[in-house]
Amino acid sequence: MKKLMVRLLSGEKHQMFRISVFAVVISLIFGAVVLLMISTNPFASYLNLLQGSGLAPKHSYAGMRNMFTDFMSFLDAMTPMIFASLSVMVALKGGLFNIGVSGMMLVSSFCATALVGYSSLSAGIARPLVLITGIVSGALVGAIIGALKFKFNINEVVSSIMLNYIFMYVLTFFINSYYLDPVSRQSINISDSARLTIIDIKAFGLKFDVPLAFILAILAAFIIRFVMNRTTIGYEIKAVGLSPAAANYAGINIRKNILLTMVVSGALAGLAGVTYYCGYVGSIQPGVVPGLGFNAIAVALLGCSDPIGCILASFLITVISKGSIYMSSQQGVEIELADLITAFILIFSACSGFIKEYTDKAERQLKEKNFNEKKGGAQA
Amino acid sequence: MDNYEYIIEMKHITKRFPRIVANDDVSISIKKGEIYALLGENGAGKTTIMSVLFGMYEPDEGEIYIRGEKVNITSPRQATMLGIGMVQQHFRLISNYTVTENIILGSEPQNKLFGFIPHVDIKKSNAEIAALSEKYGLKVDPLAVISDLNVSTQQRVEILKMLYRDAEILIFDEPTAVLTPQEIEFLLEIIRGLRDSGKTIIIITHKLEEIKAIADRCAILNHGRLIDIKDVKDTSTTELARLMVGHEVSFTVDKEEARPGDTVLKVENLTVCNEQGYKAVDDVSFKIHSGEIFALAGVAGNGQNELADAIAGLKQVRSGKIVLDGLDITGMSIRERIENGMSYIPEDRQKVGLIMGFSLKDNLAVRKYYTDSFSHHTIINDQTFDEHGKRLIDDYDIRSSDGNSTIVRAMSGGNQQKAMIAREIDMNGKLIVFMQPTRGLDVGAISNIHKRIVAERDRGAAILLISLELDEVMNCADTIGVIYDGRINRIAKASELTVNEVGNYMMGVSRSEIQDGRDDMQKEGGEGA
Repeated sequence: MKKLMVRLLSGEKHQMFRISVFAVVISLIFGAVVLLMISTNPFASYLNLLQGSGLAPKHSYAGMRNMFTDFMSFLDAMTPMIFASLSVMVALKGGLFNIGVSGMMLVSSFCATALVGYSSLSAGIARPLVLITGIVSGALVGAIIGALKFKFNINEVVSSIMLNYIFMYVLTFFINSYYLDPVSRQSINISDSARLTIIDIKAFGLKFDVPLAFILAILAAFIIRFVMNRTTIGYEIKAVGLSPAAANYAGINIRKNILLTMVVSGALAGLAGVTYYCGYVGSIQPGVVPGLGFNAIAVALLGCSDPIGCILASFLITVISKGSIYMSSQQGVEIELADLITAFILIFSACSGFIKEYTDKAERQLKEKNFNEKKGGAQA
Repeated sequence: MDNYEYIIEMKHITKRFPRIVANDDVSISIKKGEIYALLGENGAGKTTIMSVLFGMYEPDEGEIYIRGEKVNITSPRQATMLGIGMVQQHFRLISNYTVTENIILGSEPQNKLFGFIPHVDIKKSNAEIAALSEKYGLKVDPLAVISDLNVSTQQRVEILKMLYRDAEILIFDEPTAVLTPQEIEFLLEIIRGLRDSGKTIIIITHKLEEIKAIADRCAILNHGRLIDIKDVKDTSTTELARLMVGHEVSFTVDKEEARPGDTVLKVENLTVCNEQGYKAVDDVSFKIHSGEIFALAGVAGNGQNELADAIAGLKQVRSGKIVLDGLDITGMSIRERIENGMSYIPEDRQKVGLIMGFSLKDNLAVRKYYTDSFSHHTIINDQTFDEHGKRLIDDYDIRSSDGNSTIVRAMSGGNQQKAMIAREIDMNGKLIVFMQPTRGLDVGAISNIHKRIVAERDRGAAILLISLELDEVMNCADTIGVIYDGRINRIAKASELTVNEVGNYMMGVSRSEIQDGRDDMQKEGGEGA
């Protein structure tokens, strides 16, 4: 066991990536044990997750739908997760813990819905406007949190979690008062031309959704990666994040960078908001803080605070959440079981530091043992 | 019972790290009740061999015998059970716990409340700690919270921590690096007392005077190899220094007469408050010319930090003016000061001077990353970063396991210091402020840095050298200022002051008193003749 772990996880090359994969595998095993305990076939259940996400074929499909339909819908659900985890990641790099992604998502999507969503603008204008509104409003919320931090030294965790609730209640009031669809008890669906997902497009004899912003999300990840690793902007943000005192000494403007970090993080959260509420869903549910904003923290950590890692982690978590509906209908298990597996993944990925320490130590011990055995053999 | 010659025997210890052999076939034997010194340059492998003894590393080869029995020490806990204790260079104390809580942590005496609820018997512990500190003459208040204590008291807590666990063998890793001269003397007293009460003491150091002062025997390491073992009373500091560095070193700084030019730094009536609102720097005025080394002497905590931080722009000024080369910089940002030719080597390299999580080359570029050749339209030019890093690493002999891409946290303290100094000197500034530049460095490195400082002076830079080491002040200075309780007690040409006078000014003795003393001495001298 120890030897196996050392072989799989030791060494420097991509170590954190391998440890993350290891954490996922262990979590799936734990999930399987739970599934077995409620006498459900874990393999079938996991297959259902893939089927529900359009990554494996189902037994039967409704008219004009097949695996591709599910897969496009899966990408649609994954897009906001990528943006949200990037938002958390950028803040982490700058030494800030942004719990306010949910609030930012609500604000940005509400602004986009109210300003653009119900207008009669053509798609070519409405969609970019939705994106821009999302970016700007999210960035503004980020700026508030950043300003509170550097002006009054208010911890961003406290201010962002408070703002989540403030925005949720204020926006609930406005939605309930002005934009409520009395049937669905949600905000009235935005117009198709403003929506970032093209719904039920018909082509190749199929019906499917097209998440327009997915490419943008992938692009954003690569841009963030470039900015963080290869520009002075990233250099400054990382310096402030690692050691504010040393960054200050180096002549880096700390306040500017705290603000900048939160603005970028907010803009990304804004994009998460509009791609979720004005794309994947199409309306806002009042009175609810979206859980996606919190899951994004875990996804960012699972992704080792790396943009590409965030894409992979978003992929995984979305497979589980998206596929869970199908799994629950096929296996007759509760849908919350998927959350349980996600929780396992998060717990084990949070242990990645420990796993690293453990394997490094085991590796050393193993080397010593081998060495001694060799020496013993030579003496004999 | 004591049928062993040596309490510790380490035989043929070899410890390898990736790319470096930290200990290469080192054998040392230590008698019970002696003070044994390990001497060597930064990175010579002193700390590694003691970490092996303390169970933090396991040796790749070699055997350890404690009290004549072969042991295999795999953890500090096991070392503790064998009666080995170690005070690390960086203390391992929980800053918001009390002294007692820190000492008993991990072996708390338990009491049963109502006969079954276990809880820590803190009253008993407090009494025990008080008795223990009494017994060994280590004055501490068991109820004091660590964060309120100064470094030297914290060190005493660390010592008590070992004694509480009945340690027989006490290892000190560079115990004096963080102490003022008075505190050092006090610590050496304590160490002697511990030996006299039967403890065996191993002291890791690169300060030769300390070895002469307290050690019985001394092992000299260089590049991981054992060079020699000497009886301290049969050797001289010069010989020790030669063995340690591998070649002759001079303790004096060779420098020509200063040729001061125009005034570069003018500090006028500067007052700076510390966090508590106390006037840490109080109405201080002085001038430094180009081509002059102005050394500021003083006991730690007399306002040196605040003065340096205020000049560098890290701290706000209450009143007064700082003028750099005719330009009033009092209200300028740090970057503006840098661009106007100021370099600053701060005292705290780990928190302030370096970004510990950055690579070496990123740290070396921290003052220049935004300038033209380093980045273009914010896009970083990797090649310049690499070349710049490589040049400084070669020029200043900065040693690390992975060169440019080593994470600075993984480097030894001495090499971190070298990296910081290399970066600042390379700025070619008009004014260079050195705050304790040679703290924690070995003799060879110190003499190198002193040479650099003099070279910078000769280039025409104005140097402000703030140091707690009186020797350093006397050796390097052209002009000496002495600071006491936030005020400059005396400014004079270095040639006009003796070591004793500077020492007295450092203790707050006023000029007239010292003048009187000198007259008396002359009188006595005259009468004697």
